[in-house]
Amino acid sequence: MMEDSGFVDVRIGPPIDTFGGAKGEPNARRFEVFGYAFLARKP
Amino acid sequence: MEVRLSTPVDAAALREEVKKKYRDVAIKPHDQYHFHTGRFLAARLGYDSKAVDALPDEAVESFAGVANPFSLRDLKPGERVVDLGSGGGFDCFVARGKVGSTGHVVGVDMTEEMLAKSRKTAHAMGLSNVEFREGILEQLPVADGWADVVISNGVLNLCADKQQVFSEIRRVLRSGGYLQFADIANGKPVPESAVANIDLWTA
Repeated sequence: MMEDSGFVDVRIGPPIDTFGGAKGEPNARRFEVFGYAFLARKP
Repeated sequence: MEVRLSTPVDAAALREEVKKKYRDVAIKPHDQYHFHTGRFLAARLGYDSKAVDALPDEAVESFAGVANPFSLRDLKPGERVVDLGSGGGFDCFVARGKVGSTGHVVGVDMTEEMLAKSRKTAHAMGLSNVEFREGILEQLPVADGWADVVISNGVLNLCADKQQVFSEIRRVLRSGGYLQFADIANGKPVPESAVANIDLWTA
């Protein structure tokens, strides 16, 4: 998506268990939802 | 990993639901939500503990991010930063600690209670180069090419028109500028019926 928008050098960090222990954990587990850091550069 | 570019929900209705949810997070940060908040969350996401410990409670308690937007690239002194969906201002105050007195940080948010809270905190901290502007991500109140860096944390997934948001990010970034943000993505597809249910976007 970022490359389609014209960004380059896209990097994605490792998955983070954002919702573990929170009320939203069951849905997060059900759909394998994790937090990620993204980095990209405008040429 | 699945990230949707566009959605079958009404953008204006989605904004109102998001405002309603984050109005509560601004006013009642210690209530239970489907996500973690505050200092516990910042530690869980790997933020630098010294930077967080140095902030007053008001700057941290409404934090509701999903990962660390500074983990893949750190900010540099003097950089001009825009934070999309700045909420209570936590990431802006962390960014201010990195860019220093020669940098400038602009937070953009659409929730009145979050803006009031972040502005009050910035004033109490005596920060003249951190400001908060009212606006939506699809129409950023920032001049063309102003920013060295655009950051965001857990907000882009709440926007109905992500292509327009990325277009706006490109517009406000200078050439060579960085987009560094955090957000959620799902490994298993979410059923169309759930995607179309606006109540589930913020639940």
